[in-house]
Amino acid sequence: MSQILDSLQQFWQFTGFANCTWGNIVMILIGVFFITMGIVKEWEPLLLVPIGFGMIVGNIPMFPGLNIGIYEDGSVLNILYQGVKQGWYPPLIFLGIGAMTDFSALISQPRLILIGAAAQMGIFGAYLLALACGFAPNEAGAIGIIGGADGPTAIFLSSKLAPDLMGAIAVSAYSYMALVPVIQRPIMLALTTKKERLIKMPKPREVSRREKIIFPIVGFLMTAFIVPSGLPLLGMLFFGNLLKESGVTKRLANTASSSLIDIVTTLIGLTVGASTQADKFLSGKSLMIFGLGLLSFVIATASGVLFVKIINLFIKNPEKKINPLIGNAGVSAVPDSARVSEVVGRETDPSNHLLMNAMAPNVAGVIGSAVAAGILLGFLG
Amino acid sequence: MRRLLSTALLLTVTLAAAAQNLSDLIISEACAANFSGIVDERGQHRSWIEITNKSTGTVNFAGCFISDSPSDLKKYMIPKGDLSNRLGSRQVRVIWPSFEIIPGTTLYLVSTDGKTVIDTIEIPEDLPADMSVRKVARDVRRIDFRTDPSPAVPTPGAMNTDGDIESGSERVAHHDPHGWTLTLTSVSVVFGALLILMIIFTISGNTFSGKYKKRLSRHSGPSEEEAAAIAMALSEYNGGEDADIAAIALALHLFFSEEVHDSESYRITITSAVPRWSDKTRNFRKPVK
Repeated sequence: MSQILDSLQQFWQFTGFANCTWGNIVMILIGVFFITMGIVKEWEPLLLVPIGFGMIVGNIPMFPGLNIGIYEDGSVLNILYQGVKQGWYPPLIFLGIGAMTDFSALISQPRLILIGAAAQMGIFGAYLLALACGFAPNEAGAIGIIGGADGPTAIFLSSKLAPDLMGAIAVSAYSYMALVPVIQRPIMLALTTKKERLIKMPKPREVSRREKIIFPIVGFLMTAFIVPSGLPLLGMLFFGNLLKESGVTKRLANTASSSLIDIVTTLIGLTVGASTQADKFLSGKSLMIFGLGLLSFVIATASGVLFVKIINLFIKNPEKKINPLIGNAGVSAVPDSARVSEVVGRETDPSNHLLMNAMAPNVAGVIGSAVAAGILLGFLG
Repeated sequence: MRRLLSTALLLTVTLAAAAQNLSDLIISEACAANFSGIVDERGQHRSWIEITNKSTGTVNFAGCFISDSPSDLKKYMIPKGDLSNRLGSRQVRVIWPSFEIIPGTTLYLVSTDGKTVIDTIEIPEDLPADMSVRKVARDVRRIDFRTDPSPAVPTPGAMNTDGDIESGSERVAHHDPHGWTLTLTSVSVVFGALLILMIIFTISGNTFSGKYKKRLSRHSGPSEEEAAAIAMALSEYNGGEDADIAAIALALHLFFSEEVHDSESYRITITSAVPRWSDKTRNFRKPVK
């Protein structure tokens, strides 16, 4: 009898109940809340459900040494987590993004590409601010990339430069991407006059299939030769786009843009959620990251809008002037920021449709943020 | 409002992932006969080993084991509950094992499961007293450490490098503490890269959209008015009607402005849209439902 009691007592020591801390309970409740919001309210369900469940998984109290935790070498979760830690998942997501993205708007209006470059000022503005706040250069670079408004890029760079901050950076980047309409609209209205908002832009010309096929090849060669450190992201982005546009690899393009990206999104959400730890909950550093992330979005939006206004000063032909409302779309939260351009444009003039024009800087922003990530990795890695 | 609330929720869980893997740890230095070097917390000279986290993440090695015997890998357990056992990015920690390190043996750093060997270091038999064996970083990112063949003056608690190895972040922190140089350089490169793309696609766009061809055709062929005049003359010569004039004018217009190509010189042919019997499209079977 006493042996049974001893065994039960020993078993009790292995259970989560015996090893539970308040931090674990709080994190599990937050995870449950995330899942509830994702399912019931449908708030960013593709993000909240995997991350929420991952938070529960990562905060199950356990007896150490069982080799099942996400940080225990060789465990299943640890193997899946390698995709985040080693930076495998983000390029695969970029492959899917490339296979989904139509670059026609950009190809037909190359002059709008530079707006995508101007909006990357958010990355470097946040980098400077983070340095001023006392972060190390590698941490500041990882924080700055939040301004790129690109979740996979943020995870990729932070996993390389500052893995300790990756959770906060990833959650921050995705949060502000969801908040793009709220953040960008007042900035756009504040920086533009009604006359500027009324500028009508010509409809983009149709792009031939040949141009669409040439674009990913030339685009990749140019950007990869300039920033080889951005190769994983840029290579996969343009490769995915070539699969789509070539017309002869539809099956591969369909897989990359559906099943593959869904699988990787599930794994990245789950493992990023599972990698969060209660003992780092609401740390001062993480709150600073959220503050800097918000500022990076503000700087990026303002830079894009102001850049268009400056460009307009040099355009004499009124028919060729650019509506500054598409400046915000350089922030590469595809296609949300382009939609904001459309919505704000129609608020001023219901007949003014800016969506197709805004898509050009929008997809240019994706390329720009990948290039910026490559530069930061090259300098700070 | 919903978005705000959603983000507020996300804000409340500002979570930092501690990306830790025990495999990122190495035994970077060991001293067997420590007679006049550093002392432990009790003021005694004892053998010591140094653990280095070579990754950029945090690693908690509490509960890991140190041993000098492959048959007893759990000889000394690194205490749990000690915050100093969390090693930050590329940090170093000195450990005082409970046993004396004997020259000629191999030291094992073992994972928390007591089985998985994370790293080893061989203590040379001829290691002099108060000297250490160490692994030195050979690359700028400090991921490749190799054992220094000659005994070294101990440097406990400091990263073992050749002295001139500096990571990118450290270099920037040293030479560009405020970040302006890196910022201006990076902005220039981003703009430069996208500017090149803009130029290339402006040129290719002009080519593909037919601007150049139109310009060329304007120089080499007749204008629209001239094409209409030619059409009228041809129709009159053939005794044709207005419909013929319109057809010829349309054909000329297409030929000169819309890049319709005709392989026969001096003849403009308007082909039928109906495919020939040998056309590939006629050979496709209908999908079976």
